[in-house]
Amino acid sequence: MTIWWLILILAAIGASGIAFIWLIVRVGAGVGKPQAKGADSFEEAAEQDVEHIFNEDFREELRNRGRLHFEKILGENAMFLQQDLRLTTSQLNEYMKNEITKKLKEEFQKYEESIMDAKQLAIESIEKTNAAIDEQRTLLSQELQQQVAQEKAAMLKRFEDNMADIVNHYVLAAVGNQIDLNDQLEYILADMEANKQAIIEDIQNGA
Amino acid sequence: MAPKAPAASVAPAHVAAETKTMLQLPVLVSSPVDVGRLIREIESVDETLLQLGLRQSGTEVKMPKTTQLMDKIVEQNKLNLLQAEDRKKLHEFLESVKTSAPVLHVSFSADPNTAFIEKLMAWLRREIHPLLLMTVGLQPTIGAGAIVRSTNKYFDMSLKQDFAKKLNLLHESISKMAAAPADQVQPAPAPAPEAAA
Repeated sequence: MTIWWLILILAAIGASGIAFIWLIVRVGAGVGKPQAKGADSFEEAAEQDVEHIFNEDFREELRNRGRLHFEKILGENAMFLQQDLRLTTSQLNEYMKNEITKKLKEEFQKYEESIMDAKQLAIESIEKTNAAIDEQRTLLSQELQQQVAQEKAAMLKRFEDNMADIVNHYVLAAVGNQIDLNDQLEYILADMEANKQAIIEDIQNGA
Repeated sequence: MAPKAPAASVAPAHVAAETKTMLQLPVLVSSPVDVGRLIREIESVDETLLQLGLRQSGTEVKMPKTTQLMDKIVEQNKLNLLQAEDRKKLHEFLESVKTSAPVLHVSFSADPNTAFIEKLMAWLRREIHPLLLMTVGLQPTIGAGAIVRSTNKYFDMSLKQDFAKKLNLLHESISKMAAAPADQVQPAPAPAPEAAA
């Protein structure tokens, strides 16, 4: 019985639900029809007014104005754009000029420094070479002077050593044959007189 | 001035005693060669006279011809070669001279003549030794003067040696000329044309 009751209750509940849905649908369909008819009339009236106000001339006028305004705006913007472009170009030129000048200055500075370094190296090398040449020249000069002095001394010594022989040879060759022995007798006897005692002693002590 | 050339009349004091009784040598006898020649000559005379005494009478014997040296020594010592005693005395004297007389070797720049030798020997016999002998040499390189060589010593009396001794004078003169400015040094005179020719 319970099941029957349960089935009965459920069937009752289902029937009441179906009835509620049906009622709602019916109510909804009855309310919507008279309002749609009014709205369409307003819209049509508005369209008619719009058509009346915004006719073709007015629209053309508006188009012209819009075109002019648009052209004006375009012109202004083009002018602004041109000014901006010119300004940007000049700034860009100035920037490029400054950058290029700066770069060139830097490069020139580096180049000048390199040249100065090379110049300094060349000067140092030349100074070292000059110093070495001066030193070599001084040494060579001293050595040359020393050799000249030695050669001079040797020549003088050789001359002095041989001078007696040269003079003797010359005088004896020039004069020796011109002196007669009889003229020499006095000279010879004087020398023998000077050596007489030595000769006598040698004779006495001789073998 | 050359000294006179007397005979060996004045002997030095150191030999006066030993030569008082001896004969004298003439200055012409100057070298051992001369003494040797005289010895041979006196021996020849002695032998000739000996042969003359041994030969029989009537045999012709030719007397040897004496040289000027022999004549001079005989004359100076007043000897008679015909006397055997004198010949013997002269021979012994010459032998003693040959063996014991001092000899000097003297070199000259040229060959001396006889007069020069006589003058020189006279001085040597008078001043050095009365029996002194001398051999003569020739050295043309000495220029002038003489070089005397005794028994143990060497005496260079040449002009060459004199120049060598006075070398300092030459050095000083050259040094003065070298130190003097060039404009004060007078150039050597040009040679005479005939000399150049």
